[in-house]
Amino acid sequence: MPIPAVRFTDERLPNGLRYIIAEDHLAPVVAVDIWYDVGSKHEVPGKTGFAHLFEHVMFQGSAHVGKAEHIALVQAAGGTMNGTTWLDRTNYFETMPSHQLELALWLEADRMGTLLDALSQENLDNQREVVKNEKRWSYDNRPYGTWNEKLQAHLYPPEHPYHHPTIGSMADLDAASLDDVKAFFRTYYAPNNAVLAIVGDVDPADARRWVARYFSAIPANPAIPPLADLRLPPTLGGEHREIVEDRVPLPRVYLGFRAPVFGDPRFDALEVASQILAGGKGSRLYRRLVRDERVAQDVVMFSLGFIGGASVTAGWATVRPGVAIARVEALFIEELERLGREPVTADELARARALVETDELGALQRVEERADRLAMYATLFDDPDLINRMLGRFLAVTPDAIRAAAAGVFRSDNRAVLTYVPATAPADAAALDAAEAVDDEAAA
Amino acid sequence: MTDIVIPTRPTPGEPRPYHFPDFERHRLPNGLTVITVQVPGRPLVSATLVLRNGAVDEPAAHAGVTVLAARALSEGTKRFDAIALVEASERIGASLHAETSWDTMSAGVEVPADRLEPSLELLAEMVGEPTFPSAEVDRLREERLNDLLQAAADPRRRADEAFTDTIYTAESPYHRPAGGIRPTVEPLVDEDLRRAWARGMVPQRIVLVVGGDLAGLDVPAIAERLFGGWSTAPGTVDHPPIVASPALEARLVRLVHRAGAVQTEIRVGHPGLSRRIPDYHAVSVMSAILGGLFNSRLNRNLREDKGYTYGAGAGFDLRRAAGPFVARAAVNTDVTVRAIREILMELDRMRTAAVEEDELRAARDFLVGVFPLRFETPGPVVGSIAGLVVHDLPDDELATYRSRIEAVTAADVLAAAREHIHLERAGIVLVGDADAIGPSLESAGFGPLEIVREDSPGGA
Repeated sequence: MPIPAVRFTDERLPNGLRYIIAEDHLAPVVAVDIWYDVGSKHEVPGKTGFAHLFEHVMFQGSAHVGKAEHIALVQAAGGTMNGTTWLDRTNYFETMPSHQLELALWLEADRMGTLLDALSQENLDNQREVVKNEKRWSYDNRPYGTWNEKLQAHLYPPEHPYHHPTIGSMADLDAASLDDVKAFFRTYYAPNNAVLAIVGDVDPADARRWVARYFSAIPANPAIPPLADLRLPPTLGGEHREIVEDRVPLPRVYLGFRAPVFGDPRFDALEVASQILAGGKGSRLYRRLVRDERVAQDVVMFSLGFIGGASVTAGWATVRPGVAIARVEALFIEELERLGREPVTADELARARALVETDELGALQRVEERADRLAMYATLFDDPDLINRMLGRFLAVTPDAIRAAAAGVFRSDNRAVLTYVPATAPADAAALDAAEAVDDEAAA
Repeated sequence: MTDIVIPTRPTPGEPRPYHFPDFERHRLPNGLTVITVQVPGRPLVSATLVLRNGAVDEPAAHAGVTVLAARALSEGTKRFDAIALVEASERIGASLHAETSWDTMSAGVEVPADRLEPSLELLAEMVGEPTFPSAEVDRLREERLNDLLQAAADPRRRADEAFTDTIYTAESPYHRPAGGIRPTVEPLVDEDLRRAWARGMVPQRIVLVVGGDLAGLDVPAIAERLFGGWSTAPGTVDHPPIVASPALEARLVRLVHRAGAVQTEIRVGHPGLSRRIPDYHAVSVMSAILGGLFNSRLNRNLREDKGYTYGAGAGFDLRRAAGPFVARAAVNTDVTVRAIREILMELDRMRTAAVEEDELRAARDFLVGVFPLRFETPGPVVGSIAGLVVHDLPDDELATYRSRIEAVTAADVLAAAREHIHLERAGIVLVGDADAIGPSLESAGFGPLEIVREDSPGGA
């Protein structure tokens, strides 16, 4: 079933703000998504976690909007919103009942233009604590929670900015000063470093008028510093291994590989390969590890597309009780490497394509997803029309392309292996951290 | 700098009228109900088959069997083995799924409209003619037991389970996870799953809901061909009454020890409400103000004012009988006592004074305004109609939702809080480092403190 093409306009204000408008009147809903071309890859040693901490600060008010009032106004208007930070970008989005579009645009403009008017040390300190609790919650106090941090550290060399996760380190979060935050804002949060996508039940003439009205006077930053050279050798050049003791009942094996950058046709082939390997109960890894040999409790395989040097292809399998970890690892690797030797069957490929097509159809039904993709393709590739071509690219992937991509990536000299094993004693370092400041308010 | 952005807040335009899509009921001769809902322009169609047979309907000794039965539905049918079934569904781009909640077992598919009929064919086969091969059932049972091991080591899941175990009596199914516990899951065999499934196979009690761009599709005729032959032989028709009584007469603090934990998972609450209550809309507004919105009282206080947590919230899990009411947060270990004090204060404040007019307006406007957003695509439309079926709610429940929310007053909210929040017999359940927080909890006076030190796997 063909996916309807997304028709859009692609324009810029004189200050460099790129804005994309796509009309769709099926539901009385409109999505606004603004991508800033800044992510954790722009961070330097000693200031990790900065882009993400800053994302929190963006909800702390601006000249005409109070602390957390951005969110209050969006919710009171019947909208939903959030922001996310990733290696290559930071984005902010609202989905609104369509008659509230102007409010969403004004809110985004007010913080792009006047955030520093409202920023205080108190609000920074508050959000620093929130982010530290986010790190505890998502990474430190969760079984296997550190895998991403560790895998990134293995797959990218220390001097590469993908070496560290977006959440950063506790020490760097503690060290972030108000001046750092202000400088970060002035450098990257400029209209010429942003793409604004507006998708849904919108009159383009209204949207164009409001974008001009609210964003035009915000000055560009002509001096956005160039990124360091992010190029990398295509493979890791060896095998990295780490054994991690954690509070987990079952061991788990993580495999990570350097992969071609997002946008490379070999990356498309790896996406289809992930579907064939672990995309559901019909997939190769599920059948072999979970169903037939019954050595694993679950198995997952996915790719994270990055544009700066190399992407990540990774997966994990949780080891069943009584099974040797090495056996699970060996079978896992055997299936990955087999994909690089033998072409997939016509039936496997047809099934993967059908599922990819259904997934795309489902995703593109939502205005929020369309806005996100238009802004993403414009920001990363200067090519928002990729939204209309990606499915075709996935469907065009051939068995030979999959075999070649797998052979290039699933190699022993390009592999990081993390093995999580049950801790023999409580994590002592964490225990010391927690014990140093115990709540004594009740006794006082 | 400020003159670079126009200070005046824009006023909203005229809202486009919205009403929840109309749906049509058809009854097959064997009693099975088919509901169709047109969502024009949405070629990805959503279909759900609702069997009103949930985890509460199983014998306590077999707790978890219905969840396992749903998982095993796709492991083989009369015509297909498990692999053939999954391959057949993947070839048409359809992922069949089945799951069990407290109140229902359901199975469904999302698929492009031009492949709806072959997808429903597979769905009918999966739900109507499962074989429950014993070897596969054994594997799924082992996976579930392993998952229970994992749950015990995950602070969030451990806190959720310790909480419901604390607030409900042992006679209540709600005191355990819907998926059962080790002693009840361990003995399950294929015959038990077959019985659990058969309890739901009563056509008069089964509803198929299909939504999307259905132009050119005769869904009732397709359903008649595929589901019309299901016989009314097995199964039971009536649900047994559900025990959902509170276990606590007075406040209690239960702390599950996790050495060295950098956060404390906090749960505060008690048995709450059934979905079928007269003041549902007032409860919805009250919950939004207390712990639903980003600027809810709990999140505002614990996150935005104090920085104790990444997020705090509260709400009622509305089931056929009284599901839990819970306030929750994961906080930095060293502020555990202070955070609990704030949570109790906010719960109490909800019951003692009327909410401010602007809080009330923000919550009502959010619930009313977000309604069209929720129903942009067929999946949630179908899911909400299925919810009406499960709770025996009137067909116009969704159509009248917005006007009924708009009518909620501050007095209604106060009455709902007074009636439904019971601080004096709340369970305060924590997963955290007892050596670090035990002494301060002891002296805080929240209630008698019970510390659970368990041999949990993985060195916790």
